[in-house]
Formats: sequence, structure tokens, C-alpha cells
Amino acid sequence: MTLSSPRAMLVALVLAASLTGACKKKDSGTPAADSSPAANTVVLQVQSVDLGRAIGADHRVTATSDDFTSRDTVYVSVASIGSGTGLMTAHWTFEDGQVVEHSEQRVSPTGPAVTEFHIAKATPWPVGRYRVVIALDGREVGNKEFEVK
Amino acid sequence: MADIRKPRADFSDVTGGSSSTAPTPEWVATSQTYTVAKGDSLSKIARRLLGDASLWPRIYEANRSIIKNPDLIHPGQVLTIPAATGTPHTENI
Repeated sequence: MTLSSPRAMLVALVLAASLTGACKKKDSGTPAADSSPAANTVVLQVQSVDLGRAIGADHRVTATSDDFTSRDTVYVSVASIGSGTGLMTAHWTFEDGQVVEHSEQRVSPTGPAVTEFHIAKATPWPVGRYRVVIALDGREVGNKEFEVK
Repeated sequence: MADIRKPRADFSDVTGGSSSTAPTPEWVATSQTYTVAKGDSLSKIARRLLGDASLWPRIYEANRSIIKNPDLIHPGQVLTIPAATGTPHTENI
């Protein structure tokens, strides 16, 4: 079959049209999903908050507890994942509403990280219930209550 | 109801601290604060304090928890101004 015949030309035109349409279909429509590294990056976020009497070299609480003696230093460790820059804060209060301490730590992790906050007192802690609220960039991400006995 | 006979707890000798396994943004070490005045904009503040109006994104990034819209700041807002030197962290959006 040669293209000189009308029928052959018609077939060729139909084939050409279908191929063009297929190409157009490939080129148009929903763009491919963004596979750049930025799209797959986990935004900085808090994963866990733990309370205890001591921390290890990794800044993690070695043994969690919500009971403390009047001479203990109280630690709270905050595990985060993701990357980004943020201001992490620990706001400690006593049962009567008094602010015991407010600490801030600006962090810029590129992966899993642990931030610790702690409070200590030269004289014995007043007996009673306390609370620590952890916030990241002003938004509460966790809180713990504990008691000094 | 609080017992008025109970003395108020004393926390004047409390000391607190923090540390992190995550790095601290290098520009934090020499940052300062600035209170927004009437007529200010981030670019004006950047020009005045950082020497270059085009550095306004650094101020915005350092104050994302305070500034929701970089085109809208209010008198009285206390902003953290990063140092002109150093590399601010760029968040992945």
C-alpha cells in the first residue's frame, strides 16, 4: 500500500491524529507530583514530652516520674522530629497559679532531636502540684503535671 | 478556694535552664529586639537595623510566631532582629 492512494492517506491522517492526541494527553493534564526534597521534608514537630529526675547524655529523661522530693531537680525532655527553626518554651506553674519558671530554647534541627528543660531550687520545693507546659512557636504541644511530696 | 492562712509559696530562688541536641541558629547569638513604631514596615526596619531593606525576610523568619502577614505589623510588637551576618535557617514550605 502506498500513501499516494486516498485510502492510505486517510489511514495515515487518522494515525497521525491519534498519535498527536496521545502526545497532547501526555503533555497536558495534572502536573506530575512534586518529588523535590522540599516536598518530602517533615516540618519540625514535637513527638513526646517526658518528665523525670535526671537526664542522660542524649538529653532524654532516664526514668520518667511524676513524683518528686523537695530537693529534686525536675527535668522535662522534649523529643522532636523534622527540620525547621522554632522557639521551644517551658512554662512551669504551681497549683496556686504562680509562675515558677519560664525558659526558652531556640532550635534549628535538621532531624530527630531532644531538648531538655529543668528547674532547681536552692531551698526545698513547696509541697504541692505543679505543671509544665511545652510550646513550640507559641502553640502548646504538650504538658505534664507532677507533685512534690 | 485558696487557704488564706497558708503562706504564699516562695519561688524566688528557682533557677531554670535548657539545652538541646539540635543546633541553635547561628544568628541568634547576636540578635536584638526592636519595638515596632507607627509607620514601620519590615523593609524599613531591615534597612535601619540591618543596613539592607532586602533582608526583611530574615526578620520575618525570626518572628513567624508573631507576624502572620509580613505586610502587616503593628506598633508595639516586639520583634527579634537577627544579626546581619550569618545564615538564617530557611524553612521548607
